[in-house]
Amino acid sequence: MGAQGLYEKPPERPDMKSVAGKRFLADPFGMLLRPLHELIWSDRERRARKLLEFAEVEASGGRDLVRAAELTSDPLLRERYLRHARDEARHADMFRARGRALSGAANGDGSGGFAHWVAPGEQGMEGLDLAREKDADLLAFLHLSESAAARDFARYAKAVGGDPATRSLFQHILRDEDHHMRYTHAELLRVAPRRARRVLWWARLRRFWKAYLRFATALAGLIAGVVLTLQYFLLLPPFAWLSKRAARRERPGWIHIETKGR
Amino acid sequence: MKILGISGHYHDSAAALVIDGVPVAAVQEERLSRRKNDASFPLAAIEWCLDQAGLAPDDLDAVIFYEKPTLKFDRVLTSLLQGYPRSWRSYPKAMKNMLGEKLWVRGLIASQLGISTRKVRCIEHHQSHAAAAFLTAPTQEAAILTADGVGEWATLTVGRGVKNADGSTAIELMRELRFPHSLGLFYSAVTSYLGFAVNEGEYKVMGLASYGEPTRLDEMRRLLKPTGDGAFKLELDYFDFLGKVESGYSQRFVELFGPPRRSWQPIDLASAEGRRWADIAASAQRLLEEVMLGIASDLQRETGLSDLCLGGGVALNGVANARILREAGFDRLFVPSAPGDAGCALGAALYADRILFGRPDRAVPDHPFWGPVADAATLLRIAGEDGLPVKVADEAGLIEDVADALADDRIVGWVDGALEFGPRALGNRSILAAPHDAMMRDRLNRDIKYREEFRPFAPVVAAEHADRYFDLLPGGGRLSRFMSGVFPVRPEWAARLAAVTHVDGTARVQILERGMAPRLHALLEAYGRRSGIPILLNTSFNLAGEPIVNTVTEAYSTFRRCGIDLLVAGNVRVSKPHLTPVAILEKVA
Repeated sequence: MGAQGLYEKPPERPDMKSVAGKRFLADPFGMLLRPLHELIWSDRERRARKLLEFAEVEASGGRDLVRAAELTSDPLLRERYLRHARDEARHADMFRARGRALSGAANGDGSGGFAHWVAPGEQGMEGLDLAREKDADLLAFLHLSESAAARDFARYAKAVGGDPATRSLFQHILRDEDHHMRYTHAELLRVAPRRARRVLWWARLRRFWKAYLRFATALAGLIAGVVLTLQYFLLLPPFAWLSKRAARRERPGWIHIETKGR
Repeated sequence: MKILGISGHYHDSAAALVIDGVPVAAVQEERLSRRKNDASFPLAAIEWCLDQAGLAPDDLDAVIFYEKPTLKFDRVLTSLLQGYPRSWRSYPKAMKNMLGEKLWVRGLIASQLGISTRKVRCIEHHQSHAAAAFLTAPTQEAAILTADGVGEWATLTVGRGVKNADGSTAIELMRELRFPHSLGLFYSAVTSYLGFAVNEGEYKVMGLASYGEPTRLDEMRRLLKPTGDGAFKLELDYFDFLGKVESGYSQRFVELFGPPRRSWQPIDLASAEGRRWADIAASAQRLLEEVMLGIASDLQRETGLSDLCLGGGVALNGVANARILREAGFDRLFVPSAPGDAGCALGAALYADRILFGRPDRAVPDHPFWGPVADAATLLRIAGEDGLPVKVADEAGLIEDVADALADDRIVGWVDGALEFGPRALGNRSILAAPHDAMMRDRLNRDIKYREEFRPFAPVVAAEHADRYFDLLPGGGRLSRFMSGVFPVRPEWAARLAAVTHVDGTARVQILERGMAPRLHALLEAYGRRSGIPILLNTSFNLAGEPIVNTVTEAYSTFRRCGIDLLVAGNVRVSKPHLTPVAILEKVA
C-alpha cells in the first residue's frame, strides 16, 4: 500500500512471546499437518502461487475492513478498522512482492489455481453481509478469523524452513495478526462487555456453518461436474456431429437480421 | 408508465428506472455493493432505484432484462457442441453456470421482486446497446453501431434509428456479426495476452499502445480478416474461446507473437520486452481502429446520415471513436456515458417504453448523473468525530478556497450531487489536481491510484475554452462530453499540460458545459483565474481495485487511506492536518 496518514500512530508490534505465539508452541494438530505443509511448500513455484493467492485474500480482506469502517457508527472502531485495513493492504503487497520474486525465479505464471480452502483465515469476510452485521458480531468474526490466520501462518512459517525470506515474511505478518487478534478482542469487550462470550460462541458456530456450506457446495459442484462430464461424453456426440455439420455451411460475414431465421 | 431495466449476471450489473419515458434513476450494482465490476443480480441497485422514486415493485408496469437468456443458452450450447471434444472441460462449468440461475432470469426477477412473470420481459443484448446509444442522444435520426464481446449471438450490429415528428420511434438493426467473430473478443484476447484482466484492462492496452509502433500489424491482420462484404472474421486457430475462457488466445497466437506477459511482470518500456508488448498493443489498437472505421464508413455511405450513435463496450475506446469522427464521414458521434453492459439497463427500459409499448419519444436529459446524491452533512459529522480540520463555507468561498488549494498543488477529492452512471468520473465523484506538471501525474500514480506509469490521466476543461487547448474536430465537443474521445493537445500547451498529455501528445479530454456540472465549471473558472489555464486533471475517485465512491463516507475512507490532501463534499471541506517534521516524529514515536 502506498502512503499512510502520517498523523496516525503505526500499529503496535508485539514480539513472538505474545499470547498467540505461546499458543502456537503447543499445536498438536499443526504438528500432524506439518509433513503435508512441508510437502506443499517445498516446491518453489507452488510456494509462489500460494503467496500470490494470499496477497489477493489479504487485499480482499482489507477492502472488507474499509467497508466495515465506512459502515460503523463507532468512531473508535472506524479508526481501528482503517488501520487494520492498511495492515492487510501492506500484507498483500508483501505477499505479492515475495510471490513475484519466487515466480520470476521459477518462471511460473503466478496466477491462481489453488483451491480457496488453503487460504489462511478462511475467506476474509467473504459471505458476510457487512451492512447488516452489528459491531460486536463483526468483531467476534474478525477475532476468530485473525486467530485462524495467525495459526495458519505460524504453521507455514515452520513449513518453509528452507526459505528464510518467506519464513521471515510469515513471522512479520504473524506479529500483525497477533495485534489484530488482541485489538478485536479488546474492542469486543468494550462494545459488548456482557455478551462477549456469547457473541464469540455464536461466531464460532457461524464459521462452522460456513465451513460446512463451503464443503457441501464444493461436493455438490464435484458431483454435478462428474455427472455433466459423463453426459458430455455419452449423450452429446451425435448432436456435436450435427452441430459441426451445420457450422460448416455457415458463411462468415454479415448476417441480415430479418433473414437470420430466429 | 413505470419501467425498470436490469442488466447483470456477466459483468457490471445495473438497474435503471424510467417513468413516463424519462430516466429518474440508474446505478451500477458495484457502486452499492462495493465490489468492482459486480456481476451479481443487481438487487441493491433495484432497491435504490425504487426507493428513489418511492415505488414498490408492484407499482412497476414492466421489468425489462437486457438480453434473452434462451438465445444466450443456445449460443453457449452450440459453441460447446462445435468445440467437441475440446470443450469437455468447459461444458460442466458452462452448464452449471447457465442452468443454475441465468437461464431462468424471468422467474428469478419475478421472485426477487415479488411480481408476476408476465411483467418481466427480455430484449436482445444489442437492442439494449442500440437503445442506450440512440434514445439518450439528442438527435432525431442517426446511424447506429454497436460492438462488444458478445451478447446472445451478436457481437456487432449496424442499423439506424429515427424519432418521428409524431412521437413514434423506430430502431432498425439491419445486420449483425455473430459469435465467435467479435471485435471485442479479439481485443480482450490481446488484453489477456498482455497480462491484463479481461473486461477490466482493455483501456490499459489502449494506454500502452501509445508507447508502441504498429510494427506487428501484418501479423495482427492474420488474426482478423475481411470477409468481402465489409465485415470480418476471426481466424479461430489463433483464439481459444472454449478451452481458456479467461485468456481467449491459443498456442498459435503465442507462436506468432511470442510469450505472453504475465500479470505480475512489470512493463519496462526501455527494455526490448516492454517495447514488444507496446508494439503488440499498438498493432491491435490500429487494427481495431481500421475495422471500426471501415464498418462506420460503410454505414455512413449506406444511410447518408450525419449522426452516428455508438454503443457496446468497444465504444469505450476513445482513440477509435475520435478516428471514426475524423474519417468516417459523420458530423456528430454520440456515445452514452455508460456504453457498456451497465448502460443496457437504461437502454432496455427506454427500448421498452418507446418500441415495445409504443409510447411517444421524450428528450432524455443530457447528463450522466442518475445515481445516489451525496450527503455533505455526514462528512461534517464523521470528520468532526475523527478530529480532522473541517470547514463549512458558502458556495463562492468554497470554490475560491479549493481553487487556491489546487493552485498550491494540493490534490482534491471532489464529491458533488448525484453519482455518475457509467465508468467515467465526469465531475461528481472525481479526484482533481493541477494538470501542469508531470510530477503531479507521478504523485497521483504513486500515492493515490497505485497504477501503471503508462496510463494517462484525463483533463477536464470548461467548454468555452476547450478549442484553445485541444485540437478538436467539428463534433469533438460532443464526443468529449462524456470523455469518449481522445484528441491532440495543441503543441503550444502540451508542456503546460504535462500531467494530462499522453506520450503521443493526446488527451482523453472532458469538455464541461456549465449546465452539466455548474460547481465544477465554477471551480475550473476560478482555477483558470489563478493559473491562466481553466483545466484540471480529473480522475475517478477510487483506489486501485475499488469501484468509484458513492457516498461521502466512502469518499472519506478513501481520503483517509491515500494521498488526497483535501476532501470536498457540497459545502463541507476536510483537510488533513499539516504536520511539521518534528510533529511527525513525535507522532511516530
